[in-house]
Amino acid sequence: MVTEQKSTWPSIGPFYEEGAEGFRTEEMILNLGPQHPSTHGVLRLVLKLEGETVVQCTPVLGYLHRGIEKILENRPYMGGIRYMDNADYLSPMLNETAFVGAVEQLMGLEPPRRAQYIRLITNEMQRIASHLVGIGTYGLDLGAVTPILWCFRDREGILSLFEALGGSRFNVNYMRIGGVLHDFPPGWLRRLEQWLDQFEHHSLPELDGLLTGNEIFEGRTQGVGYIDPQQAIAYGLTGPCLRASGVSFDLRVDRPYGAYREIKVNPQVRQEGDAFARYRVRFQEMGESVRLIREALDKLPGGPISARVPVALRPPRGETYFAVESSKGELGIYLISDGSEYPYRAKIRGPSFVNLSILPELLRGHKISDVIAILGSIDIVLGEVDR
Amino acid sequence: MTLFTQIWNWLIDINGDGHGALQFIITFVFSFGFVMTSAAVLVYLERKIMGFMQDRYGPLHNGPWGLYQIFLDPIKLLLKEDVSASVTDNVVFHMAPMVFFAPVIASFVILPFSPYLTTSALETGIIYYVALSSLDVIGVIMAGWGSNNKYALIGGLRSAAQMISYELPLVLSLVGVVMLTSALSPACQGAHPNLAKCSIGSISLSDITVQQMHPWWLWFVLIQPLGLLLYYTCGLAETNRTPFDLPEAESELVAGYLTEYSGMRWALFFLGEYGNMVIVSSVATALFLGGWSGPGADLGFWTSHIGTLPGEIVFNIFATAWFIIKMYGLLSVFIWVRATLPRLRADQLMRFAWLVLIPLTLANILILGVVLLAIPGITLKLVVAGIINWIMLAGYIAFLGRVTGVSPVGRLPKRAQARLRVPEPIKALAPVER
Repeated sequence: MVTEQKSTWPSIGPFYEEGAEGFRTEEMILNLGPQHPSTHGVLRLVLKLEGETVVQCTPVLGYLHRGIEKILENRPYMGGIRYMDNADYLSPMLNETAFVGAVEQLMGLEPPRRAQYIRLITNEMQRIASHLVGIGTYGLDLGAVTPILWCFRDREGILSLFEALGGSRFNVNYMRIGGVLHDFPPGWLRRLEQWLDQFEHHSLPELDGLLTGNEIFEGRTQGVGYIDPQQAIAYGLTGPCLRASGVSFDLRVDRPYGAYREIKVNPQVRQEGDAFARYRVRFQEMGESVRLIREALDKLPGGPISARVPVALRPPRGETYFAVESSKGELGIYLISDGSEYPYRAKIRGPSFVNLSILPELLRGHKISDVIAILGSIDIVLGEVDR
Repeated sequence: MTLFTQIWNWLIDINGDGHGALQFIITFVFSFGFVMTSAAVLVYLERKIMGFMQDRYGPLHNGPWGLYQIFLDPIKLLLKEDVSASVTDNVVFHMAPMVFFAPVIASFVILPFSPYLTTSALETGIIYYVALSSLDVIGVIMAGWGSNNKYALIGGLRSAAQMISYELPLVLSLVGVVMLTSALSPACQGAHPNLAKCSIGSISLSDITVQQMHPWWLWFVLIQPLGLLLYYTCGLAETNRTPFDLPEAESELVAGYLTEYSGMRWALFFLGEYGNMVIVSSVATALFLGGWSGPGADLGFWTSHIGTLPGEIVFNIFATAWFIIKMYGLLSVFIWVRATLPRLRADQLMRFAWLVLIPLTLANILILGVVLLAIPGITLKLVVAGIINWIMLAGYIAFLGRVTGVSPVGRLPKRAQARLRVPEPIKALAPVER
């Protein structure tokens, strides 16, 4: 027998309403997640459904909260880098760059030019890797099983290169305050160029042919989850989600940092503002990243890879905010230093969290299938949402 | 009288004589064994073929090329615990797999693997097949309802809508073949066709197979390619395969109506689905690809060369092999499609069935009917009908994108269209020099 259970869901008004001619239609409350194949982690969405149409969506966050910000405050500055890897676990290099950049900015430190170029190369590789996961899982969300395996195959090349570089595939712990951990090992650059050739000339066109021109894929994504440019700015969206709505804002261009001051980025912008545009922006950014890596490899300067930094870092008292263009958007680190070895306060402005805030607004009136299509197109990482 | 002799006598009673009873036993064992093993073999094939397409190995560790996987999968499923939640509707929940699986087994009766290996050459083969294939939906709805799970319920209801919608074009796409059999029937040919009997085609799978053998390569796919494509598309929907796998859409509904099932009950659904695929492919083989015909499947040749009984045996082996080869060819297209396409949305699925498939099947029937009536001479009839159908097929494929894109969801909303007219990207922030 079904017994009435006490609901722990947020109160969302009357449970049913009287329909025409005495028929009673009930709205159904569907608990999507936290254990669900396509919520990209442990996101929980409480959906109020009318048939298959979403009337209301309430995201419930916090299932992956590990207190990364608090951990950062309880570690020396150098010890925090490793924990930044776990925030957006699909782009650790970018997280580390944001954190060490913030500390450097706090100390007024400028890493050597070669270190900045190495950061750019690894960051763009990480961006490709993250977008590959984003596109692959998006295909899987829409029911296509092949793209994810092709994407992970290509991503594997990047992870192997990272392993050769930093000793670890995933949580690389490669950036250091004032520079990077190691210089490129022998033969690494040749391997990277081989991978770039293979990726640009085989993998990208292949993936493009499988997804972009596919009628079903276009039918599922075009016109779905449309975000107005004004709306996007109002919700504070950044990254591919913002650029797909026709707003040309890219921190690498508008607030350039590191080697991006010397290597110009062409921001990838599309006007449509729907899920398909977001997918396309990611796709074009991968090509742009390949171009950036090639350019950086051509211009790669010599010299030291790290500035001389004391072992016990004591940045001067003060606060700073430093942001990089992560694969998901603006990844900002806010640090307050009280002059001791530990940050007084560390705050991560995660792009996934901010981008997710538009979800309830977007989902209203869409079908369940579109819920997945829209959620996937925003490309969140729960490690960064919950931190 | 022992039980065995009772059964034997009963078989002789219904089959006429001892030979008939023996044939019944052989074909029954073959068909039943085939349905039981085909699912396991198909799973292995699917994993291997999709592995090839996705740059990975697939099963590799158990036996050569991972072949033991075929036996180990069913063993694993049989040994697994059968979990059922305490709040399920017990009777419905436990009956659903059987209701789903029984029609699949029953459908195997009509498959003409070869002239000898046909359990029952039913005169009403197509009707029987269509009727049974539409029974599956009851099992799915029962599973969806009985599970007392919201995902399962949505999956079950989606499945009901989908299977009912695609049943229509599935049947209509087979009508073309039946019309061709009527044109090819002896009463319809000659200088003075008997018009009263001319309209009677055949709906028996065995008969239709035989009609495609004069000469042996005159398969109906040459005259009805569009019919095969439409039938195949509907078959994908009937078997809940990609791109029509909404009822068990993994990324949306976890596992749809299968969510609450485990162990052998789940395996029955699984077996039923793969069995359904085998049946859809078999029917397509029999109706469009000439069934068991092929080089070597020539009874007269073998009986005249190596004697009557050995000749018949060799002939039947060849015929069965041809049937299975063609069938697995179609099945691998199922797998290919799964590796390629994403999934449609529910409303796009319905729109596709009602606005594209049904009108096309009706147009196919109409045009074929006009050609068969208006044009004299059987050869000319077939040639003209074939040419028109190939042109229709080319047009359908060329405009497939446009007809599926007709849906308003394929277009941008008005606000987005208005936005498209803005020529330059908005600058949110002026560049800041650091």
